[in-house]
Formats: sequence, C-alpha cells, structure tokens
Amino acid sequence: MEVLTLRRIGMQLLALGFLLTSVQPAHGIPAFARKYGLPCSACHEAWPMLNNFGQTFKDNGYQVGNGRDAPIYQEPTYWPITFRINTSWHRESNNRTAVDVIPGNAGGGQVERTVTTSGFDVNSLDIVTAGTLSSNISFFVQPFINSGSSSLAQAWARLDNLGGSRWLNLKMGKFEMDELISQERILTLSGTGGSYFNYFFTPLGDNNVFEGIGVPQLGVELSGHSDNDYRRYSVSVLNSNSGQSGVPSNNTYDVYTNLNQAFEVPKLGMQRVGVYGYFGQSPTYFQTSGGIPISGTGMGNRSFSRVGAYGQWYVGKFDFQTFYMHGQDNVFLGNSVPANQPASLPPGAKAPTWNGGFVEAHYDYNPRLILIGKYELIRMSQEANPGIRSNAGNLDAWTVGYRWYPIMNPRAGLAWVQEYGRVLNTGAAPLSGKDDISNSFLMGFDFDF
Amino acid sequence: MRWKTTLTGSAALVLLLLFCGGDTHAQESHIGNLTGNVKRGKALYERYCIFCHGKYGDGRGESAPFLDPKPRDFTKAVFKCRSTPSGSLPLDSDLYDTISRGVHDSGMPSWKPLLRQERADLIAYIKTFSSAFQEEKPGAPVEIPPEPPISAESIQRGAQVFESMNCWSCHGKDGRGHGPSASALTDSKGYPITPFDFTSGSRFKCGETDRDMFRDLVTGLDGTPMPSFASAMTTDQRWDVVHYLRSLSSHRTHGQLAPISQQ
Amino acid sequence: MKSKFSFTLACALIGLALSMWGLAGWSSPADTPSSVKGTVKFGGAAPKPSRIDMSQDPLCAKLHSTPATTEDIMVGGDGGLANVVIYVSDGLTSHDFQPPAQPAVLEQKGCQYNPHVLALQANQKLNVVNSDQTTHNIHPTPNNNREWNMTQPHGMPLEQSFAREEIAIPVKCNIHPWMKGYIAVFKHPYFAVTDKNGSFELKELPPGTYTITAWQEKLGSQTQKVTVSAGEAKTLDFAFKQ
Repeated sequence: MEVLTLRRIGMQLLALGFLLTSVQPAHGIPAFARKYGLPCSACHEAWPMLNNFGQTFKDNGYQVGNGRDAPIYQEPTYWPITFRINTSWHRESNNRTAVDVIPGNAGGGQVERTVTTSGFDVNSLDIVTAGTLSSNISFFVQPFINSGSSSLAQAWARLDNLGGSRWLNLKMGKFEMDELISQERILTLSGTGGSYFNYFFTPLGDNNVFEGIGVPQLGVELSGHSDNDYRRYSVSVLNSNSGQSGVPSNNTYDVYTNLNQAFEVPKLGMQRVGVYGYFGQSPTYFQTSGGIPISGTGMGNRSFSRVGAYGQWYVGKFDFQTFYMHGQDNVFLGNSVPANQPASLPPGAKAPTWNGGFVEAHYDYNPRLILIGKYELIRMSQEANPGIRSNAGNLDAWTVGYRWYPIMNPRAGLAWVQEYGRVLNTGAAPLSGKDDISNSFLMGFDFDF
Repeated sequence: MRWKTTLTGSAALVLLLLFCGGDTHAQESHIGNLTGNVKRGKALYERYCIFCHGKYGDGRGESAPFLDPKPRDFTKAVFKCRSTPSGSLPLDSDLYDTISRGVHDSGMPSWKPLLRQERADLIAYIKTFSSAFQEEKPGAPVEIPPEPPISAESIQRGAQVFESMNCWSCHGKDGRGHGPSASALTDSKGYPITPFDFTSGSRFKCGETDRDMFRDLVTGLDGTPMPSFASAMTTDQRWDVVHYLRSLSSHRTHGQLAPISQQ
Repeated sequence: MKSKFSFTLACALIGLALSMWGLAGWSSPADTPSSVKGTVKFGGAAPKPSRIDMSQDPLCAKLHSTPATTEDIMVGGDGGLANVVIYVSDGLTSHDFQPPAQPAVLEQKGCQYNPHVLALQANQKLNVVNSDQTTHNIHPTPNNNREWNMTQPHGMPLEQSFAREEIAIPVKCNIHPWMKGYIAVFKHPYFAVTDKNGSFELKELPPGTYTITAWQEKLGSQTQKVTVSAGEAKTLDFAFKQ
C-alpha cells in the first residue's frame, strides 16, 4: 500500500511540476491602454494586478462608459491584440529528487539527491485579444502557446448590462472563474511563486478530474455589480470536466458563486471582503467499450467542494490579499475508487478535507515599483485513508520579490522582475517519504505589448 | 525716513500674511466635508492622469496627439463645466463633479471608482497648475430656480428663443449640430469642435439633468464657442429653451440625479 | 516652507520699495508733456480685401448694399495703413497708472467690429454694444487674461474689463464666423491706433527715451527708439510691407 501510495504521490508531484512550468502568464492588456490613451497604472495597481478602476472597467464589459467604447471609435493606434512574454534566467532546486544510483542504469536502484538546474529561459507566449464587439458586448480570446503546442486557454463572449442594468451580465464560453485575487493576474512568475497552490490543490491519492478553481472552466456566468463596483456577485454553471473543451460534459454540472463587498475606511483606503464556493460533482468511472472509456459518459458522480473567504486590504502604500479555502472531496474521489466498487475502498477510508490559505503583501512604492511578499499554506485535516500519514500533502510556500517597471506607457510595458521562493511539501519525497523542498530564483523581463 | 521704514515693514507684513494665507488655501480643495491634499493628489495624478494631461498639466501628455477633443490644459484655468459665471474660476465642487462624471464623447473617463477622498486630492493638485487659483477667487455660483412644468407653450416659446438668439447658426435649425457656422467653429486652442446634436439623446458634457442644461446656458462652456446667456435670456426664457431642446430628442433622459459632489 | 517664507518676504519688500520709488518719480515737479506723432505706410500695392458672404444671417446681409470686405490689411488712399497699434514698449519710468474713468467702446455694427482694433488700458471699463438687430456673441480668446464668452442680443448692455497687458487679444463671434477684431490692453496710457490714413499721435508723453512699437495683426511688429525732451513733438514714421 505504501509503495502504491508513494508512487501516486510522485505522480502528483510530477503533475504539479508540469503545471508549474507551464502555468499561463497573467494579463495586463496594453491594447486597452492604447484604445483609451490611459497609462497601465490607471487600471493596474502594478500590472497585471488590477486596482478598483480597472476592476470596474472589466466588470462593465471592458467599457469606460464615455460613449467611445464601441469598436468604431478606435484611435488610429489601437490594435486589439496583446502579447505577453517573459524572458528570464532562473535556478530551480529540489532537495529530494529520485535519481538512479548509476546514471544511465535504470536497474541499479535509486536514491534521493538534490537536483539543481539553471539557465536562461523564455516562458510561454500569451496572446490575448479582448474588448468590445459592439457597445455592451465584450469578448476575450486567449490562445496559449507553449513548447510548440497550443490550446485555447480562454474564449468567451459576454452580454453586458442587460436591460440597461449593471446587475445583469451573461458570459458564455471558457473563462477564468470570477476571482478578484486571480491566478491569471498573479504578480509572481517563478516555479515556486507562480501559482496560488490553494487554487490547484488535490490531495494525495485523489483522482478528481477537477483541477482547481485556478483553471479556466467551461460554462455560463451571470454576474453583476453596483454602480461604483463596491458590491459584486457572480454565479456560474460549469461543465464537470475541468474546462477541457472538445469533450462533452460528464453528465453533471458544477456551480461556482462569488459574493463580495467593498467599503471605504477613512485615511486607509478601500477594503473588500468576499466569500466564494465551488460545488461540483466528478465522475469516478466511465462507460467503456472494449475496455476503453467513452468520453463524456462519466458515471458514479461524487461531490466535492471548495469554499472560503478572501479579502483585499489597502492600508496606505501597502496592500494585502488574504485568502482562505476549505476543500473537501468525496471518499471515492479521495481514494481513486470507482463508486460502483465500494468494497475496494481501503479500510477506514474517509473523505479527505483540508484547509489552506495565503497572505500576499505588496508595498506600492509608486506606480512603477512594487515589492511582494507571500506566504501560503495547506493543512490536511483529514486524509483519505489511514495508510496516508496524517500530514502528508501539507504544503508551506513563501515567495519574496519585486517588480520594477522602467517602461510603462499606453503602448507597451516592460517589467524587470526578481523573485525567490521556497515550497515545502510534507512527506512528499518520492522514496523516503520525508519532506520535499523546492526553491527557485528568477530574474528577468516581463514584456507586455 | 523712519515712517518709510515703518510703512515698508507693516506693508510687507500684510503682504506676507496675504501670501501665506492665500498660499495654504490654494494648496487644498474643499468639496462638501472633504479636504483634498496636494501631495496625495500629485501621486494620484501621476498614476491616473499624466499620460493625457501631461506632467505640467498643460494637456500635452503622451496620448494627447491621438485624442479628440484634446485633454484639458489646466495651466489656462479655463473650464467648460462650472457653476460660476463665464470668465471666472470654477468651484472645487465643479471640478470634482467633472472628474466623477467624466466627459461623455471624449477620452475623459468617469473616475467614480476612485475614492471620494482621492478625487478631492486630485482636485487640490490640479489647481496648482495655474496661478489663477491663487490670485483669484471663483465667481459666485449661479442661481438655479425651480423648474416650471413642461408644456407645449413652453416648448414653442423655447423654439422662438432658439431662433432669435441665433442658436441655430451653430446647432442648426433642427438641432442636429450642422448650422451654417458649425464647420468654422474652433475651440480656444484652435482645434475644430462640433456643436452638440440635440437629437442624439446623448449625454451632455456637463451633466444630464434639466438643471444642468439651465446652468450651462447661464455659465456658457468656457474655452468653446458656447457662450453664456446670463444676461441675454430671462429665467423663464432659459427654462423654455431647456424644454424645447429636450423635445428634440426622442430619448427620455429626464434623470433628476443630484450632482455627484452631493452623493 | 522656510525658504518660501523668506523668498516671499523678500519679494514683498522689493515690490513695495519699487512702487514707493515709482510713486516718488510720479510726484516730481510737472514737466511740459511731449508727444510723438507720425504715419504708418504700407509699401507696395495694397492687397485686395476679400468679400465676406453674410448670407447665412439675412439680418446681417441686408445691412450691406455692397458686400462687406475683410479688414486684416486696410490701406488708405495715400498708402496709409489703418488699425496699427502704436505704443510705448520700453522706457517709462513710472509704472503706476490708473485706468481712465471713461469706458472704451466696442461696437458690433453691420455684423463687423467697430473699431476693428481697439486699444484700452488694463482694468479700464469696456462697453460692448450690439447695434445690429441680430444676436451676436462676443468671445475674446486671450493668452494673458481671463477668457469669457457672452451672448448679446440687440440692445443688451455688457460691461467687462481686462486686468493684464496683452497685445493683442483676438475677438470673435462664433455665430458669425467672419467677424474678427482685436483688443490691445496696456498698463499705461501711451498707445494709439492708426486711423484710416495711417496717422497716430501719442500725446502727453513725459520727456525721455522710449522704444515705440508698431503692431499690425498680419504684418507683425516693428520698433523704433525715440528721445523726446520737454514740450517737444517728435515725428516718427513706420513702413510695413507684405
């Protein structure tokens, strides 16, 4: 049991590693700046992170509301396409990677060794086209190109301000969940700092197809907001297949909702608090033909949830983002057992639950320099079965860094970035079951046109 | 000789007090119960405003060549949307309302997503671009009496005033903005400018309500060809013109919103 | 803040001292005033003025049996150049002048400005008169003074003033786009505008050495230096050409 579990742990880590190296960069959209003549800093605290003016612009359907939003009013220099690319030098290190005792000899046994890699790198290219198709119809298309392969990361259209009301906006397609602390607009880029781990976490031994609230999903979203964007709501109905397009739904639908309210604190600034919940059902097995699963025929659906609260706090030149998540997967999902084989559940199997969260602090020295510090943790409160050590899968991660924007004008932006981060996965070392620690150092340019 | 020294000394002291007193006052803005601060306003200006309005507030930011109409040149202290007579400075609340509302059909967005305090700070900083704010005081705000009810007679009278006051020479006989003088119009910087099309149902630049239209007729839109009708029309005539202009548009935009500085 | 304090104090003291010195200069024994007079001529063939089409406003068109013409360069019978502003630009020793009580008058007549170029003193009252049956708007676009824009139907009184020196403020009527005039504002009273023969006279000039400038709206400025002694009447001529 132990070996099987550990192998699964290894696979989880590999998956995590792949995800980390291919994580989609986030969005600052100079095309909008070009359209309106505004600087990046008007909409972004420090791009890609949005400030309230930018969030309001986004919630209004990428419209400023001055009668010049429809595409026919484009300025001569407006070209509705944005490119984003990072070039960097970075160093990754992991303290317990399984390596062959004799390099090249697969049968000679393995040990855990520290493995360090470093060098220049160019991350994936992000292309975004977004804006208004006409007054009150907005769109967003984001192809994602990485290592020669490409996919559609997001593609949606939205009917804005239905019936003239800001409370009714309908979005359809593949889209990022309505999250004010957004994975798509994260400020850090490195292997350890480039993700909010809570947004992607799946406990050890779990085969839930749901990859997390940080992954764009397929479905419809109804959202709305008050005039000054202080009160916002959204409710989405989504496919239960974690946003994989081309594969029809697994016969069930998930629901995601986000409610938040902002308020002013005199002398400090604007604060916002919110609650969210993702309630879904994932299949535990499929109909098969000749032993091969028929896609879209998920069966044995079992429920899972990700709920929590978050806050965005402005205190003078500082701003903080706080996040809490409580996650729970059904016992069958947690143990990777089909629901029609309850006898296969290991004795003492339970539904895995965990709590996690992060605090991210920024010091906004001026619109061109932001200092970043982040600490994130995940704690399992209930493992899927007694065979898994009680704190296996726990995670502690921190990142520090800064972004400096020597070029920031309505045409394009350039940031110089330096980051250092460290993540500790409890009990995740592939051979010994000890703690697995990775750290990364990154410095480079983040270029946005 | 001693009297001269005493006179000089006391005169200098008086002047000094005037300068000091005048200085501090002009370094702040007062809107309702908000007091805006110049230093905070400068940081906000550099984040939000500088690319259109320019580092020196002269309307020559990087984006200005691509914008029509051009961004406001604050160094001239000439503003379209005021509640004070033509030729005089606006009140702080006039400037606050303008940035909160934005200017429809231009590159100026509504800055309502900014905190009220932040907007007040911006106004305090914007006033530092022109010495006029330290040398002069704004005019007395115009009186806007209660609006009489709309009637067919009022609209007809308004049409006659529209004719006799030569409004049609710019706005056209049908109010569409293609009057005989329209093509020659330039703003005070020399850029071509078009008269408002009253049939468009679009939002006016300085507010959407009937009271705003009345006030625009009294104050004029300084810096543009739109003059003040302060002495040229009586109060009743002004309301008649407002009613007539409303009748030109099929859109029902009779919103009775309070000015944003009062929200 | 402290340096600003001392700077302001210094400025105040200097300003006060200068004005006291100026006042002292003013109150010295009366001199017999001098004058400078002359003619401004236009060299070469006079440019033909263009016709103004006033048909868009019938109330304007009917005031002209023959069409009105543009007034930017007006050359009289003898080659005299009208509407040139002559003024003292340098050399005055006193700087404190009260504006005259008599208002200057700018008339809108025949849908044109009369006079085409008006000169007055800073803070002197300006009466704007609309003698036409049609409504005008009077819209000066200054660089150094407050900009205002007032509608004026026939007979409505309008009084304004300009606080700072400026040569010269363009004035227009937006309703009638062909209407163009200029207002030159001076701190001192030593200015004149040439008549239709190009003649001018600067009267009651205190004796001294002065720089006299002639300004024409299209042809630019010219300067000449002149020295007048008590009671002397000097002659000074200018010549402009295109």
